[in-house]
Amino acid sequence: MAADDTLLLTRLLAGEQQAFKELVTTYQSAMRAVAYAIVGQRHVEEVVQDAWLSVVRHLGSFEGRSSLKTWLLTITANSAKSRYKLNRREVLMDDLPSPHGSIDDDRFSSADGHWLVAPFAWHQDTPEALLTQDELRDCLEHTLLSLSELQSSVLLLRERQGLELEDICNLLEISLSNVRVLLHRARLKVFATVEHFEETGEC
Amino acid sequence: MLTCKEQVARSSDYLDGQLSFREKLMVRHHLLFCPNCRRFIRQMRLMQATLKAMPEQPQEGIDALAERLATQRRDDSP
Repeated sequence: MAADDTLLLTRLLAGEQQAFKELVTTYQSAMRAVAYAIVGQRHVEEVVQDAWLSVVRHLGSFEGRSSLKTWLLTITANSAKSRYKLNRREVLMDDLPSPHGSIDDDRFSSADGHWLVAPFAWHQDTPEALLTQDELRDCLEHTLLSLSELQSSVLLLRERQGLELEDICNLLEISLSNVRVLLHRARLKVFATVEHFEETGEC
Repeated sequence: MLTCKEQVARSSDYLDGQLSFREKLMVRHHLLFCPNCRRFIRQMRLMQATLKAMPEQPQEGIDALAERLATQRRDDSP
């Protein structure tokens, strides 16, 4: 078990409130993303609540064979699956229209596959500089909300929570090739949004 | 040699280390000769870093939840 996990676990087992606050602050976003992927927006809250109760109940039997994070996310996925399940066949490859489109085929010459409209050079070259523009932040939020629940969860679990693709497959019970496709489509849409904003200054 | 379109189609797999050795070399080779695709990949990486750096949505009720969980834990343990 990682040293950080061991220390936190000891404090959690002792019922220290501050330790639970750290746990919730650190991991609840990732848990929400997992729940969102499996049950959709409507049931996220109840699934996360269920998961927390289950976490407390089973804390004593956590053996550290996985990281604390993986353990929490697995409990969340199980809570989600035991309560509700979206019809996966219908939603898995849903590709909803995004506010600024994507980087799709019409950006390339059908004759030789070269760029017809080359990628626009962004004005900013750090995340911090990009994010100082409030409008871009809103614009990104808007695009993230336009993605299907599964697409956006996979993107957030990968880019914000830093999960490995295999962990995402296991938690959400989808194949690696599906995770790769979901992630790629989501990224191209977000890319198109930033590009649009950098080019026009508007959302 | 890959076309730009083929390079873009492989870009996420390239960034995630999901390509075979041979495909990775093909992408690198393309990037070596294509400034547009180099810019595309650079900006994809910047987009990834930007998503990571976006501020968290403020979470509500953390203190109340922590209190409830801590109490539950103390009640559970003998």
